[in-house]
Amino acid sequence: METTSQAATRTIDFKAAARDLLPPGASYDACLSCGLCSAGCPASGLEGMDPRRFIRMAMLDMNEELSTTPWIWTCTQCQRCKYICPMSIDVSVLVGLARSAWPTEKKPRGIVRSCEAQLRFPGTSAMGLQEQDFVDAVEEGVASVRGQNDRFARLEAPIDKQGAYFFVNQNSREPATEPEEMGPLWKIFDYVGADWTYSSTGWAAENFCMFAGDDQAWRKMVEQRVDAVNRLGCKVWLNTECGHSFYTLWKGVERFGLKADFEAGSLVSYYARWIREGRLPVNAEWNTQGIKFTVQDPCQLVRKSLGDTMADDIRFVARTLVGDSNFVDMAPSRSANYCCGGGGGFLQAGMKELRYAYGKRKFDQIATTQADYVLTPCHNCHSQIEDLGQHFHGGYRVVHFWTLICLSLGILGADERKYLGPDLARLGL
Amino acid sequence: MFETEALIIGGGVTGTGVMRDLALRGIHCVLIDRRDLNAGASGGNHGLLHSGGRYAVGDPDTAAECRREGDILKAVAPECIDACGGLFVAVQGDDPEYAARFLEHCRSAGIECTAITPAEARELEPCLSEKLFAAYTVPDATIDPFRITLENVNHAQQLTQSIFLAHTELERFIVDGGTIRSAVCRDTRTGETTTIHARQVVNAAGAWAMRVARLAGCSGVNLLYSKGTLIISNARIGQRVINRLRRPGDGDILVPGGTVSLLGTTSQTVQNLDDIHPTVAEVDDLVAEGIAMVPQVAHTRFIRAFSGVRPLLMAAGADADGRKASRGFSLFDHESEGLANFATVAGGKLTTFRLMAEKTGDLVARRLGNSQPCRTETTPLPSGDAVRWTEPGFAPRYWVARRQPGDLILCECEMVPASAIDSIVENAPGAQLQVSLNAIAVRSRVGKGTCQGAFCSLRVTSHLYDRQVYDSPVGLRHTRDFVAQRFKGVAPVAWGEHLPQLELAEALHCGLLGLDRLADDGGQFPPTAVQDP
Repeated sequence: METTSQAATRTIDFKAAARDLLPPGASYDACLSCGLCSAGCPASGLEGMDPRRFIRMAMLDMNEELSTTPWIWTCTQCQRCKYICPMSIDVSVLVGLARSAWPTEKKPRGIVRSCEAQLRFPGTSAMGLQEQDFVDAVEEGVASVRGQNDRFARLEAPIDKQGAYFFVNQNSREPATEPEEMGPLWKIFDYVGADWTYSSTGWAAENFCMFAGDDQAWRKMVEQRVDAVNRLGCKVWLNTECGHSFYTLWKGVERFGLKADFEAGSLVSYYARWIREGRLPVNAEWNTQGIKFTVQDPCQLVRKSLGDTMADDIRFVARTLVGDSNFVDMAPSRSANYCCGGGGGFLQAGMKELRYAYGKRKFDQIATTQADYVLTPCHNCHSQIEDLGQHFHGGYRVVHFWTLICLSLGILGADERKYLGPDLARLGL
Repeated sequence: MFETEALIIGGGVTGTGVMRDLALRGIHCVLIDRRDLNAGASGGNHGLLHSGGRYAVGDPDTAAECRREGDILKAVAPECIDACGGLFVAVQGDDPEYAARFLEHCRSAGIECTAITPAEARELEPCLSEKLFAAYTVPDATIDPFRITLENVNHAQQLTQSIFLAHTELERFIVDGGTIRSAVCRDTRTGETTTIHARQVVNAAGAWAMRVARLAGCSGVNLLYSKGTLIISNARIGQRVINRLRRPGDGDILVPGGTVSLLGTTSQTVQNLDDIHPTVAEVDDLVAEGIAMVPQVAHTRFIRAFSGVRPLLMAAGADADGRKASRGFSLFDHESEGLANFATVAGGKLTTFRLMAEKTGDLVARRLGNSQPCRTETTPLPSGDAVRWTEPGFAPRYWVARRQPGDLILCECEMVPASAIDSIVENAPGAQLQVSLNAIAVRSRVGKGTCQGAFCSLRVTSHLYDRQVYDSPVGLRHTRDFVAQRFKGVAPVAWGEHLPQLELAEALHCGLLGLDRLADDGGQFPPTAVQDP
């Protein structure tokens, strides 16, 4: 299927690969050339490419061109193309294959470095955080939260607690650069009385090995994390407010045929459940100023993983938190929402202008809602949408769900308001 | 009114070959076709440049002729040819004796042929059936019949300012004293009449040659019409030409055409040349036969079927079977029928068109008192900007290499950019004022990809309105005629993955645009439909 054309650059037979990797009836041969994929792809036009062109070039045997086009690093593998395609053709699969065929030294450095960092220590952190750094950050954080308020004097953030119900992962960004952002989530767990634990190994909630097109490393990453959950005997692997860490784990389990003794859960689904069960009595009474909110559907969590059920939960939580009249949805939304351009390793790839060009569509969507805040349960969406706001002078802010939940419950600390604007900086203190 | 040394009737590969042959001798020609270039068998074939293998057993003279002509064309027109090589394969149920004799017959016709094991054949072409029992390699190749025709005309225009007139139909000859003085022709679009005065008249009308000869009062040309249908796959199957090693029959040649493959043909004797179109029964037959050689044909997406009519020479008392009739050609000088300046060239094959043109050119030149020898055997066929767009895969490579994203791609399936359309409209032979979409399709890959014109028809039309090539409802009618033409080819292969394609095209063309309700005369539909956007 593959031949070597020059040192370390593999030329892929894309037509044959599509036939092998995609289901019958949804392979490139089934393409109607209708262009719905391209119309809905924010990467259309970048590097002279779009999803339909990718398919057509494969069918026209333009394997050299496809094997070398940098467009594959601007495609975030968000699968909007597959979602809208009348034949359900998934272009992202061969984009992943094309990424894998690039020689490591030509791949975007940032993505490769993040994957390499994940492989370095058992914690699997893409920011290279070691086990002790993580444990220390958590312990310091816990001490600080306990000191904030009597209510949380006995708050726990257990690590390696055998048999806990939830195994909670943690994006490296908080312990590495903003440890005070961990507090709100711990408070929520404390509030609902969740039986949970972190792990000192396989704790990190990012996985750039899939985006680097490195299957072996992706597999190793997932194995380490699955082992960690199996070892602690947890029932639910609870994925934090992050998109791709969810997708890469459950998809990896399926792809590599791993044995997982637990189910995968998304934090926002549990927020919704706890609200419905009355354990998280949040409401929108705090929003007396009529501050407007919209939500971004993380592709990896919604379209690629849990679908509109997830999108519904996100909206249920958001509407409850901000009030129906203060919620403005994007168009299109839910599974049809556009990728922000932060995923797929784009944020790490160093291709800034292309990333802004990609993100312009997201920016315009947000601008149309006239929202003051964007809520999103994904760290990549969070960073990208914030960056887009600055670049295009948006004037909106991006906020985690845990911030608003704690705000609504009146338990948000003064130093936990990094992502809130002046309008909410002092509310409820 | 036109004055010329030689009037040639028929814009197929033979007529254009004669045009170039004569132009290389310094002779001015006018070429006419009642439709357009390649409208007959020249556009309705496999694009196979026969090594001669197919005729080695039954027709050794044609076989040897194919071999010689193939070698010449590979040398003078390499840009039109994919020297992909060919295989002859026999599968279980085929006659082992026929297969066994193949090598020897190829040798006596001078065709380079090597026996290989079925395993070796399957290694070369993994798509081949496991039921192979014999296989031979031959130097088959493929030829782009559209490009070679365009290049012929282009070259003749350059050499002697020769002229090609499309949609110009011969109505009658004016004969005086055993000489054709002129031809009265009608523009089939405008109905206007033109008279062409010519010293010599060549009838190269292919399947219509008998009709043309009769207009000149000649009854010596007798043709058998053999309709052949082919189907085109969505993607290329195999690298080589794959021939079934048996007495020629239906569905026994699979030919790569750049990015696609063509499976054919059927052979059915027909009496009438009008309304030739492929049928479901023919397609079923081709698929059933094709599966025996290449099992994946069973689940291959075919995007179009098309038909051509082979004009076969019928010798007196010959068997009326298209498969058995000669693939050779004849040149009629009509002198015994009392005409001194009329010639008909008929029969033959795409592979041997140059030789047909040479013999015809010799006769016409001699009659004109021109002593220049034929030069087509050694003179390379020049290409040109406007005549290279029919090559599958050329436009996308051109577009990618050029890196001009502003050069909008109009046909997404074949990645034909606006600059290609502009070049065709400005410079391609026969694409004169108010070019039709059908004419663009003959000169490019527009409409030949997966969508079969569903989208490119609309985009190219819009582009032509934007460029003010169209400024009246005529442009939309060209679009309608084009998609109607495509539909004839798509309908017989509308199953499986291709059926949604047809539904989509119908929704666009009929549901959205109402092209099916477009009036035939000017200005009858809402004028908003043709305003510039």
